[in-house]
Amino acid sequence: MTGRWRPTPALARAVVVAALAVVMSVIGAAPAVMVLGAPFILLACFGLLHRPDSEPVISAVLDHRWLHEGQGTTSRLAIRDGEDVEHVARLMAQTPYVALHPSTGLAAGLADALPTIEIGPRRWGRRVLGEELVCLTTPWAGYRWGPVRLPGDSLRVLPHTRRFDSRTDTPRPVGLVGVNRSPRLGAGVEFADIRPFRPGDRLRRISWRVSVRSRELHVTTSPAEEDSGVLLVVDALGDHGRSSGLDGTASSLDQGVRAAAAVAEHHIRTGDRVGLRIVGGDGGLLGYGAGRRHLRSVFDLLAGVRAGELPDGIESRLQLRVTGGSVVFVFSPMLGQTIVTATASLVQRGLPVVVVDTLPPGVSPRVPDGVDPRLADLAWRMRKLERDQVLAGLAALGCPVIAWRGAGTLDDVLRRLSRRRSVPQVVTR
Amino acid sequence: MSLLARETRARLLLRAVLLVAPVLAVLAARPEDVPNGWFLALTLVLSVGFAAMPESALGTMCLGVVVFWWMLAAGDGVPVGAVPAALLLLAAHVSSVLLSYGPSKLPVGPALSGRWLRRAAGVAVAAPLVWLVAVAVDGQPEPPGVWVSGLVCAVVVCIVAAIAVTVREDEA
Repeated sequence: MTGRWRPTPALARAVVVAALAVVMSVIGAAPAVMVLGAPFILLACFGLLHRPDSEPVISAVLDHRWLHEGQGTTSRLAIRDGEDVEHVARLMAQTPYVALHPSTGLAAGLADALPTIEIGPRRWGRRVLGEELVCLTTPWAGYRWGPVRLPGDSLRVLPHTRRFDSRTDTPRPVGLVGVNRSPRLGAGVEFADIRPFRPGDRLRRISWRVSVRSRELHVTTSPAEEDSGVLLVVDALGDHGRSSGLDGTASSLDQGVRAAAAVAEHHIRTGDRVGLRIVGGDGGLLGYGAGRRHLRSVFDLLAGVRAGELPDGIESRLQLRVTGGSVVFVFSPMLGQTIVTATASLVQRGLPVVVVDTLPPGVSPRVPDGVDPRLADLAWRMRKLERDQVLAGLAALGCPVIAWRGAGTLDDVLRRLSRRRSVPQVVTR
Repeated sequence: MSLLARETRARLLLRAVLLVAPVLAVLAARPEDVPNGWFLALTLVLSVGFAAMPESALGTMCLGVVVFWWMLAAGDGVPVGAVPAALLLLAAHVSSVLLSYGPSKLPVGPALSGRWLRRAAGVAVAAPLVWLVAVAVDGQPEPPGVWVSGLVCAVVVCIVAAIAVTVREDEA
């Protein structure tokens, strides 16, 4: 971004006052006036002598472009050909859900320590920072360059995940290698049973104490440890409630995205395979995967979630593409018929499904202009009654519905699902 | 009023200097030369404008009015009051420079203030020096063309001093 050097009003004032003083002292034969003008003659000379001939090029650079909510980064100025610059002032426009330090977005300093602005995004998503105005000044404030506009930089803000940790195994581990106890026996470390030795058993599995006592070789068995498939379904059909960023109130989409991110991080850390499906908005589908790189992809997809209705054609035939043996977490306020139907069909297939209710308590809809608030309130209450019926119906089908509470939210539910897996079930196909 | 309430203390102090310094510079003339009320009121009005808008032409007009008054009041004399008047005008100018480095919400940084204080102190030395020279030559018969020669000398001295200071700053 370039501009042009212009004399400052301060230089103009110094030149005019100095000239006036010289002229008046000569015309009026008043040496006292020269006393008044002498400092201004020097100021004008110094200002003019620092006439710049460079063409500075300014750019603002962010230290980090990928951040989690609540983390911070620094916006730094880079000035090329700035040898004539003594002072730099910058003003960054305010951006929704982005905290600035200094809070006014104003920073200034001498050229040897260029002013920086600290940036702290308070909500997940793609954030484009506000436009910036930058002004450079030469020594003795003789010339000014700008203010010139710098376009706002963009940030990818990933959801906050700190508050979730579960100590319970994931149900249905049917993968290869993981940390969840499988229903079948294998080469795990936890004790399962003691049984007589069979050909093919490993010698190190022999329980010598039991073998001596029973005068017959016995071996200890343990459950295999396998990974699970976890599918996260995020309902982006609407965003209910008001979002005030990380420290304030959370909307339904905030709750859903943050909870999904926390669950994804937890399961990927424990070695499970995690898939993600966004229902609504721009949509999004991420296949099952594991590892840090996959977690980054999950976060990236979650950061791009936007609320919006499904296209008409898709709405009636929504497929969540769940593979058998997966655990499904549905993060939804359960206010859309499409997501309710899709969830119910998964439950009827016999899949372990957990609905995480993301509707914030006490939320009320925005009343459009020209609509009677009492009418809107009545409609909302009726909608909530319908929703309560839907949640009760899902619970009756065997699908737990829980509110997101952070760490330990899913422990009890997962434990019950794990227990249920050994019970024979009737599956509707 | 609400604009003033949002100003930092340092900026308010600088605006106060802008408001008061030109008026005091006018009053620094000899007591018998205290200007008429209308002239003082004009200076005050201009200094109020200067304090409110430090980058406007009102500042130049305000300082110009003070210089004009001193031409009328001092005549061919060299009153000692010219030195404090010069310092007051310089203080007003430097205050306005410090206020005009950015938007009105920009706080005045200590590094910049310190730098300008040092500069102002260096430049201010010119006022007593010129006053001493004026006192030294006061009452002596004026050779023909002395004012023109003096003007040329002053300009040359300023340029030489400016070059010297610039070189020093670059070396530093």
